[in-house]
Amino acid sequence: MADRYDAIVVGSGAAGSNMAARLAAGGKRVKILEAGTARGNEHLVSSTLWARRLKWTGEPVLEDGANPVGHVFNAGRGVGGSAMHHYAVWPRFHAEDFECRTRYGRGLDWPISYDDLQPYYDRVQAESGISGDAAQETWRPPGEPYPMPAVPLFAQGEIIRRGFKVLGMDTAPLPLAVTSTSYNGRRPCIWDGWCDAGCPIGALANPVTIDLPKATEAGAELDTDTQVVRILTSDDGTRATGVEAVGPAGRREIFADVVVLAAFSVQNPRLMLASATAQHPEGLGNSSGTLGRYIMTHPAGLIYGLFDEPTLPYMGAFGGQLVNQDNYGKESHAATGAFGSYQWMIAQAVKPNDLLGIATTRVDLFGQALHDFMQRAAQGFATMTAVVEDMPVAENRVQLSRDEKDAHGVPLAQVTHTTDPSSKALWDQVLIEGQEVFKAAGAKEVWTGPQGAMHIMGGTIMGDDPKKSVTNSFGQTHDLNNLVVAGPGLFPTSGGVNPTFTVHALTARSADHLLANWPA
Amino acid sequence: MSYSRRQFIRDGGIGLLTFQLAGCATQLTPEQAHGAGVSLKKLSGTEAKTLAALGEVLLPGSAEKGLVEFIDHQLAAPVEEQLLMIKYVGPPPPYDGFYQGGLAALNQAAQAAAGADFANLSTERQTKLVGEMAQGKLENWGGPPPPFFYFVLRNDAVDVSYGTKSGMESLGVPYMAHIEPSTPWEAG
Repeated sequence: MADRYDAIVVGSGAAGSNMAARLAAGGKRVKILEAGTARGNEHLVSSTLWARRLKWTGEPVLEDGANPVGHVFNAGRGVGGSAMHHYAVWPRFHAEDFECRTRYGRGLDWPISYDDLQPYYDRVQAESGISGDAAQETWRPPGEPYPMPAVPLFAQGEIIRRGFKVLGMDTAPLPLAVTSTSYNGRRPCIWDGWCDAGCPIGALANPVTIDLPKATEAGAELDTDTQVVRILTSDDGTRATGVEAVGPAGRREIFADVVVLAAFSVQNPRLMLASATAQHPEGLGNSSGTLGRYIMTHPAGLIYGLFDEPTLPYMGAFGGQLVNQDNYGKESHAATGAFGSYQWMIAQAVKPNDLLGIATTRVDLFGQALHDFMQRAAQGFATMTAVVEDMPVAENRVQLSRDEKDAHGVPLAQVTHTTDPSSKALWDQVLIEGQEVFKAAGAKEVWTGPQGAMHIMGGTIMGDDPKKSVTNSFGQTHDLNNLVVAGPGLFPTSGGVNPTFTVHALTARSADHLLANWPA
Repeated sequence: MSYSRRQFIRDGGIGLLTFQLAGCATQLTPEQAHGAGVSLKKLSGTEAKTLAALGEVLLPGSAEKGLVEFIDHQLAAPVEEQLLMIKYVGPPPPYDGFYQGGLAALNQAAQAAAGADFANLSTERQTKLVGEMAQGKLENWGGPPPPFFYFVLRNDAVDVSYGTKSGMESLGVPYMAHIEPSTPWEAG
């Protein structure tokens, strides 16, 4: 029967590909709809310029607030979504991240605990492969050791680690979903710092390498250049029945028992808001009024330094070589009004140009002074980045633009984000600490960057209370249990770590539940 | 000449772009395009002259590296294939107005400050104006926010100068491409 499936998955990024692979392996007939173009590892090119084509190129997202989420930079377009340019830093959330409201009286609680998610973290890391050294991560929550040895340490990492040691702080190899050795038929990484441009040799665990092949081998169908413009519902408004999509063959309706939205934290709520009906006048899954709310983005703390020693800053992975989570506890800087968790990602591989490149760290320089700086920095530059928790704020939200629509008549997303004062205070403190580390390491010059926006989470948060959240712990919307959300949009809090590992673990848990309790 | 879309994308990323030269589609690096004097599609003669002069102040040598040809080529490309860094940080496309408006504003400011277009000022005067642009202190400016225009154009100059294989190698940075270009960056 044409255009009828067990499940439609909207989006082929990390969450969508993972969900599709699991549902298809479970015997379900799955259709993946990807708004962007087809792409395989063979299409990736090692170039900071070419890498920009992996970023968002879809309909504009309107941004406002004091600290915009940086949608174009953080999102992706095309097969694999933003995971095609992600840096594969895969730490776990900590137990306190799931119980922020209960333990501290701030933020929100998740409807699950770390213990609920731990088996899924363990399963996913075996499937996708993570390189690391669990024993050295003294702060790591319980779990199986990593399946691959730690990533290698290059000069930049050695030098910065020296500063942490002087200050009595620990470092451990950064847990990376990158192969440090051959793994499940994948080649080991050659540590050339091109992660941001995608990984054509399959060393980095992106959807094109891991989950999409599994999905298609299990029978899932993938339609590219196909944009979903509306979610269809039954006449009585109790169920999602499919989607309306525009693709190469024009506009069509596709039907399924289950509709999974995996189009990232902004487009998911946009589509749900734009699919309002008489039964759901404020948007699908929005009886609580929280749809689109609690958008979060990690404030990035950027530390830079110049050393006399050669740092080989171009070697390694884009995500870094080492990690420090000594101060992950949410009240480490409480005396300053700061609240939240953070980690240091240490010694990122850098290129001369691009937004995260060496030249951009000193925007005050131009002319011959810039040339001179580039010559020095190419040999002695070092950097590390703090992932700082962004406390959830209801006013930070995705709404529909009142005035602007895309080519298919769907209102554009308007995203408002201003960092909570307690998160901003933490970011301030983190920058002080980072500069002290670099000075202790012997840097001749130390400077910092502006507040970056890293990752986008929230907007379709999960929770136990249908009056205060959009979905249950499995991503099923409280209002229509066969309309499922997957991805970082489900996070009620952001933690102080990168989200992609947790996205995979949540998706695996959701898929297990759906297969065992199919909402047909 | 058969030239697939995939080939276009790959070569475009590494450095080769398709320019019109003597009526024929020809693959060139921006630097080669500059040397060959390709005709521009988006920028006027005055805009190109202003952009080249600005590039030389921002990062000397960038005009020779094809800054004008690179930006003009990218403005003429489909949005999903554009490589300009403004995609990360700027308003929604198209970006023609940003570049053309900024260049016009620069000439407007130069005229007000020194009675001539930016390209015709002394290097000293140009450098002073760019410094004021970077700090947002430029007067008689009617374009995009001056520090933002400075930021974007400076990064464009860095892209053509150091974002290439030869540019990285000039810094002693090995390029280490996973996928080598089908034609060397510095061909010809």
